[in-house]
Amino acid sequence: MQFRKLMTRQAIPSAKLFAVVSFSVGLCGLTLNADDAKPASKPETKAEKIEKANLKKEVTKFLLKIPLGIPEIEHPKDNELTQEKIDLGKQLYFDKRLSSDNSVSCASCHDPAKGWSNGEAVATGVGGQKGGRSSPTIINSAFQKLTFWDGRAANLEEQALGPIQNPIEMNLSLDEAVKRLNGIPGYKKQFRAVFGTEVTKETLAKAIAAYERTAISGDAPYDRFQAGDKKALSEAAQRGLALFNGKAHCSACHSGPNFTDHAFHNLGVGIDKPMPDLGREVISKLEGDRGAFKTPTLREIARTAPYMHDGSEATLEAVVAYYNKGGTANPQLDEEIFPLDLTKEEAADLVTFMKEGLSSESYPDHKPPKLPE
Amino acid sequence: MIRTSFRRAALTAVACLAVVASVTIAADAPKSSTVTTGLDNPSGIVVHPGGDLFVASHAGVHRLSGGKLHPEVGEFKTDIYGKGPMYNISPLGVALLGDDHLIVGDGSLKDAEELVRIYKIGPKALEKPVSADSAAVKLGPIGASPESAKGEGNFYGIAVSKSAIYVTSNGDDTKGWILRSELKDGKPGELKPFIATKPLVNVDAPVAITLNHEGQIVVGQMGEMNVVGDSLLCTYDTNGKLVSSLKTGLSDIAGLAYSPKTKSLYAVDYSWAAPKEGGLFKLEIAEGAVKATKVASLDKPTALAFDKMGNLYVTVFGTVVDGGKPTGSIVKFDAGL
Repeated sequence: MQFRKLMTRQAIPSAKLFAVVSFSVGLCGLTLNADDAKPASKPETKAEKIEKANLKKEVTKFLLKIPLGIPEIEHPKDNELTQEKIDLGKQLYFDKRLSSDNSVSCASCHDPAKGWSNGEAVATGVGGQKGGRSSPTIINSAFQKLTFWDGRAANLEEQALGPIQNPIEMNLSLDEAVKRLNGIPGYKKQFRAVFGTEVTKETLAKAIAAYERTAISGDAPYDRFQAGDKKALSEAAQRGLALFNGKAHCSACHSGPNFTDHAFHNLGVGIDKPMPDLGREVISKLEGDRGAFKTPTLREIARTAPYMHDGSEATLEAVVAYYNKGGTANPQLDEEIFPLDLTKEEAADLVTFMKEGLSSESYPDHKPPKLPE
Repeated sequence: MIRTSFRRAALTAVACLAVVASVTIAADAPKSSTVTTGLDNPSGIVVHPGGDLFVASHAGVHRLSGGKLHPEVGEFKTDIYGKGPMYNISPLGVALLGDDHLIVGDGSLKDAEELVRIYKIGPKALEKPVSADSAAVKLGPIGASPESAKGEGNFYGIAVSKSAIYVTSNGDDTKGWILRSELKDGKPGELKPFIATKPLVNVDAPVAITLNHEGQIVVGQMGEMNVVGDSLLCTYDTNGKLVSSLKTGLSDIAGLAYSPKTKSLYAVDYSWAAPKEGGLFKLEIAEGAVKATKVASLDKPTALAFDKMGNLYVTVFGTVVDGGKPTGSIVKFDAGL
């Protein structure tokens, strides 16, 4: 990992996560673990407590550690990161009490142990109900312009509340979710500390979204190769990278540091079914968006099988074979989808690049936290 | 883009003075009027020093002279752009080489087949249009190669300096090429890939192009059609080096032009996914950021050009209802921008 910038009120996605620096006690420039910032054992006077609380509220600062190859995160101005908010969001993310039968959490379908997806073709909700689309990874969702496969949510705050209410996912009304959380003293106390209020729909969304923005992957072999380490990629992966940006045409859509153009494209996947998923068209009402789905990031792609919006391709080899044949013909097929004429060796090199080049040693392998009672 | 080449329909553009198109004008904007309507998807415009307008549309290239449209170049083939709505497109961009030659960027054929054509033009409108194939000079095509997996095409924008013709191209979307033909003694050389914009700025589709007062190449990277707010304003030097890449907040910048009077930069935003947001914008650059101020709402504007007095002309697609007649127009903004 590479320190690229020190900023105020930002976060550090790393194994130890976020360091709090309180300028009030003269620690500017030092990186501390949360545990290091605990008060000394000597009892504080009331005046000291008030002063400390005020200082913390006003000048708590954060260092942002951005991995190599990843741009700065533009956090919403009304949802800046704090250590306490991230801790709270993480608990909520892993808490199955946010589903009607206490069986499903955000992490059930977006599991850090499974590439922040679920390893299955589609999402599974309460009562074993199956959704129609695969669970997109949360990795680098901090950079998404629109969320969900069809872009129906403008940001992670909007997205966070969707699955909770969805009858085939967590199936819990927001009113009931808020009521449940306010009935858990540990949560109530944390929401008051972080937001100054009891649990609300808005603060619930903000906490989860803030946590999701810490699931960052970068500093992969690809990034080190681009930074000048010509041994960072194997020869096969280097050939694959050249194909990715050339003959295989991948970078027409999977572009930029997060390997997505944030747009919606029709690849023809599932379009030949009797009742095809119309994707973005349902939201935009534009015929040109028929069967179009959001370009996903390729960061950590080796961990997120199966692939495509419907999980219809089990392996990256199968995905490349699908593109190589030119997708599935339909009136809205994207102009960037056409037969690629890749040889077996070229297809293998392309897969090698994606698996080897985009998998980071600093993958955010978050573990479930202790949940409040 | 769906590509279907067939011979074009008859020239359908008609002159219609003072007909008001779908335009919403800011209170402090200069007076505007619609100088012609009934154009079939007008996509390019240039003003001759003598005052005549040349406009490219599905019907070919027309010359607006004396308040009347005259067909200048016809018999282009047709390509269909978009997947719903769909648009018939033939030539795309137009520019002048001196005052006696018209440069026309093609959009009517497949990638790897399209040409940039240069026609000799006279002081007056022609009585009978010349055919597309009668160009005095043809530049391209640029076929498939390691530099361009599909070959190049869709020549939206053209800018001309004393030493080169620059053409925006939308063939290989992994590259986003700006093409260049160097001018030697006023004669254009081979059209070649010059700047691969996409690897530099990570946004697709160089479309709008103009030159700033330092001679640098100013480009509107249109971005993805179904993503709002992703257009960039990029500046490249004449060696092809990226000088700046700035977010604009606009969605699909289709045209750029500097006012000869105020030196201000203006853009038209087609805004495919949110047409009500589209229109004419003034772009101001300060402290590394672009401030885009809307001058007028326009229904899918595509190109713009100033005359030497500072009047501005904007081509607008408009919206065809249920297979009706073409609704394209040219909107004039009186000098003042």
